[in-house]
Amino acid sequence: MDALAEGPQVQVKFVTRQRQYAIPETPIQTPARLRRYGLSQIINLVLQNEGEKQKPFDFLIDGEFLRTSLVEYLEEKNLSTENLLTIEYVESMLPPTPLSSYEHDDWVSAVQAHQPGGFLTGSYDNHVRIWNKQAECTHILSGHSGAIKTVQWLTSNGESGTLLSGALDRSILAWEYNHTDSSNSILYECRGHTAGVESISLNSNGDRFASGSADSMIKIWTTTVPTASDHFDEAAETRKKRKTAKDDRIFKAPILTLAAHTGPVSSVVFNPTSSDTLYSAGWDHSVRVWDVENHVNVATKNCEKTVHALDYSQLSGLLVSGHADTVIRLWDPRTEESSIVKQTLNGHQNWVTSVSWSPSSAYMLASGSYDGFIKVWDIRAKGALYTLSHGKGSKKVLSIDWSNDFLLSGGEDNQMKIHKAQDMTERIEG
Amino acid sequence: MEGDSIVDSQEESDNESEVDKEEEAESDYGDLEEDEIDPNFGHNLNEPLPEESEYNPIKREYPEIDPVYDSDSSTEENENTVGNIPMHWYDDYPHIGYDINGKKIMKPATGDELDKFLSTMDDPDSWLSAHNYKEGQDVKLTAEELEIIRRLEGNRIPDAEYNPYEEQVEFFTSKTEVMPLSAAPEPKRRFIPSKHEAKRIMKIVRAIREGRIVPRKSGYVPPKPKFYNLWNDAEDKPREDHVMHIAAPKMKLPTHDESYNPPAEYLPTEEEIKEWNEMDKEDRPKNYLPQKYNALRNVPGYGQFIQERFERCLDLYLAPRVRKNRLNIDPESLIPKLPSPRDLQPFPTRLAIEFLGHIGRVRSISVDPSGLWLASGSDDKTVRIWEVATGRCMTIYHLDELVTSVVWGPNKEVAVLAVACGYKIGLILPEKLFSPELTLHSEEYLKAGFSNNATVEANPKATWKQPTPSEYEKGIRVWIHLQKPVKQVTWHRKGDYFATVAPEANNSAVLIHQLTKHQTQQPFKKNKGAVQRVMFHPNKPMFFVATQRYVRQYNLQRQELVKTMQTGVKWISSLDIHPAGDNLIIGSYDKRLCWFDLDLSSKPYKTLRYHQQAIRSVAYHKRYPLFASCADDGNVQIFHGMVYNDLLQNPLIVPVKILKNVHERVEALGALCVEWHPIQPWLISSGADHTIKLFS
Repeated sequence: MDALAEGPQVQVKFVTRQRQYAIPETPIQTPARLRRYGLSQIINLVLQNEGEKQKPFDFLIDGEFLRTSLVEYLEEKNLSTENLLTIEYVESMLPPTPLSSYEHDDWVSAVQAHQPGGFLTGSYDNHVRIWNKQAECTHILSGHSGAIKTVQWLTSNGESGTLLSGALDRSILAWEYNHTDSSNSILYECRGHTAGVESISLNSNGDRFASGSADSMIKIWTTTVPTASDHFDEAAETRKKRKTAKDDRIFKAPILTLAAHTGPVSSVVFNPTSSDTLYSAGWDHSVRVWDVENHVNVATKNCEKTVHALDYSQLSGLLVSGHADTVIRLWDPRTEESSIVKQTLNGHQNWVTSVSWSPSSAYMLASGSYDGFIKVWDIRAKGALYTLSHGKGSKKVLSIDWSNDFLLSGGEDNQMKIHKAQDMTERIEG
Repeated sequence: MEGDSIVDSQEESDNESEVDKEEEAESDYGDLEEDEIDPNFGHNLNEPLPEESEYNPIKREYPEIDPVYDSDSSTEENENTVGNIPMHWYDDYPHIGYDINGKKIMKPATGDELDKFLSTMDDPDSWLSAHNYKEGQDVKLTAEELEIIRRLEGNRIPDAEYNPYEEQVEFFTSKTEVMPLSAAPEPKRRFIPSKHEAKRIMKIVRAIREGRIVPRKSGYVPPKPKFYNLWNDAEDKPREDHVMHIAAPKMKLPTHDESYNPPAEYLPTEEEIKEWNEMDKEDRPKNYLPQKYNALRNVPGYGQFIQERFERCLDLYLAPRVRKNRLNIDPESLIPKLPSPRDLQPFPTRLAIEFLGHIGRVRSISVDPSGLWLASGSDDKTVRIWEVATGRCMTIYHLDELVTSVVWGPNKEVAVLAVACGYKIGLILPEKLFSPELTLHSEEYLKAGFSNNATVEANPKATWKQPTPSEYEKGIRVWIHLQKPVKQVTWHRKGDYFATVAPEANNSAVLIHQLTKHQTQQPFKKNKGAVQRVMFHPNKPMFFVATQRYVRQYNLQRQELVKTMQTGVKWISSLDIHPAGDNLIIGSYDKRLCWFDLDLSSKPYKTLRYHQQAIRSVAYHKRYPLFASCADDGNVQIFHGMVYNDLLQNPLIVPVKILKNVHERVEALGALCVEWHPIQPWLISSGADHTIKLFS
């Protein structure tokens, strides 16, 4: 403790919202030269955590992560060392650890979070794959004639399930699979887009899903399995041609088309809490909020760069978008102002083409970029928390997804990488 | 008269007795008495006075007076009190005057002449007596009185004791004083107005009053002198130099090492001296060696002085001096005020995607109207179609010749890719990339001409052919065979017509093909010069033909030449027309990029020469005010080129970004083609290093 007594002291009060780590809120004199590690040691000392039980903590002053020593922080903010400093501490997120990587035959352009049924990936070899945790490909769903751009679980349990896949062949296929007899089949084909399907999002009720396409349209579909094909008033000749190849398919038409985007739609996301609110973003530099029930484009938020990825967090209520100018922007969809960017996150070296909020934290998100890196961000911190390399070299990361404890990424190097990310659920006010 | 003679004789007799006294005086005062102005006067004065002088002029001794009762006898005498009056007034009276008590003083009794004579004879001192008319009797003169008389007669000062030459008190001396201050009291004349001057002034005043002096009247002009100054102008200024006068250039000022005592660091080392000596005279940087002398007096004469003066004179005399007009303009102010590139965003700044896969030079690239697909033609005899957003190669078409040009049809309703490949032009329909409806429509559009073709007589210069089934399977729908290798394909905006350039086919170098009818026309019977590039006007029936040095604008409807642009470059390499149609840019192999304003002039509005090597390609963006050029130096330059609707405002051209070494130089070729994304501000460039790069 002698070493702790040296140098200028500052009076601090530690508070936390994680009750299991609560300590008495009495002001303590601490040396001002301490950094995160030193403060973390103090907390562990007070909690009487020793050895293996020691936990790393992160410290927040005024909602911002402490990344320097206390004295440097005070100097930067022009604060006096005399005042009482209230520091909030939270358990640190441990760096995601690479678990395994699943080899594909071609670029992995779509990944979807782990469900009881396994991992879902879509690849440029036109196949959708379902993987189990033992890195075995349990199903290869082939039926698309173009590169898969997006995949989406519909229902799944340990044994069987349904899923959706969108591809550059302009179609969305609904699949059914069963692990017990290793069978899979196409339930129906959604037709209507005139360019590749870029993104699919299922609403919270599970009865509708939206698709965004490069033809700048957003189409809403039902998930019910039709018994017969919808009528299409397109040239019979082409349909005949198509039917000869895939005779048994049932075609489905959209129930609704939302047309307001003036460029390819790169991403659509349903609000998980309100089944009628849809967010979309596209190459026309806009992020749009839709009321699906009333077919209204409620709000449009414009920036100056193309948007390549969008995600919505139920916990923070914020939208995050990845852009062609390497910046990640955060938006508050509730504000009226059309083009207020709440925050920007800089750090990537190339287009940010996939973003994903942490399912368990209101502050954490992950992003994948064409520079070949996945970055984990805490929006309270200035820079990225962790930068994970997807693969060798700077092969593009095409898709990422963050499920509760897995951070999945698929990229140009034909791999789906799985990182074990700490489940941060317990960090929320325990 | 007797008296006179007596006195004379008396004097003579007495002279001898006085000689001693006089000689004494003479010894004292020298010959001052004779020469009033003595040349040696000053000297005498300066000489110290004789010490043995008995005569003290300041202390004058008088006879002792014994102050007893009878010491003054004057009161007892019976004095005549008449005063100083002519005594002859009393000649007729018995008295001679009045005493102090007022009683008459009676005339003393006088004897007759005889008595006088007798008394004279009796009294030996009678000649020493004088007659006192007041007393009326003779008074015997004392010795002192006689002395006075004698001095008066000799014109000398009566008082023998008075020294007229008293010693001078030297208030001002001839000596030069160290502190030449006078102790003399300030003379009065210094501080009282001069009476003399007052007199003179009063004299003038009086004369003015009396009218003798008349002052000048107000309008008086002094008469001009009748002569003028021959040698001076009105102002005494040096005459200005002649306009053609050029001042002689100034000699360079000597520097430290030319000093006779230069600082040590200027002194040459021995090696330097040796080197200097070995050098030829002409090669020496300086014609002297710095040398050190202890004192200026040790410095020898400069041996080359005459020579140098002579050369200087020769220089001044023989070297023609030319006046250089130096403009006194701040060079900063000449630079046009350009907006900062930051305000001109968006423009591409960084490499986003690389399209890798070609194994030969990528000569031509093109983005389809939807902005999703990129086609590229390469020297590896393939045409590839890429997904723009990811850089993924979607399709490869293997052809049998080098692909020189690939262009997407501009019509969104028809998906067709025109490919120039050797002697052929292929029209490709990439099936998988487009929706079935669009594919079907395009298919019909492309094939429609074959049925038509039978009726029209075939143009021998271009034959439209069906592809073989295997080629058809790949996606090729039409072949057009030409006589010479095709270098460029360009579409009309509506997507029906396209023009091709085959420079080697002299007069049929330019051909215009109609897709729907499968017809080929030869618009020009004869071509002036080797055609490099052609281009359709984006919204008028105009056609641009770039030969090596000129760009000609033709009106296709009227079939006439509208304008000839004189580029001033040696060899045009590329051509692009602004989407609004009023401006065009050309790139040339002699590194120049010229911007023409078609309404303005047939000369370039701006010529930009920023590339180090030959420019290969130039391109306008369809939507943003951007254009780009790429060159053999591997660089791509991006410019902001704003064209205003206002006809009076000239286009604004601002260089905004240089993308350096985008493509490696391979066999003296760098970047070969630039193309803008049709919707986004993204630039795509291809190069000789087999790569295609997208910048965002």
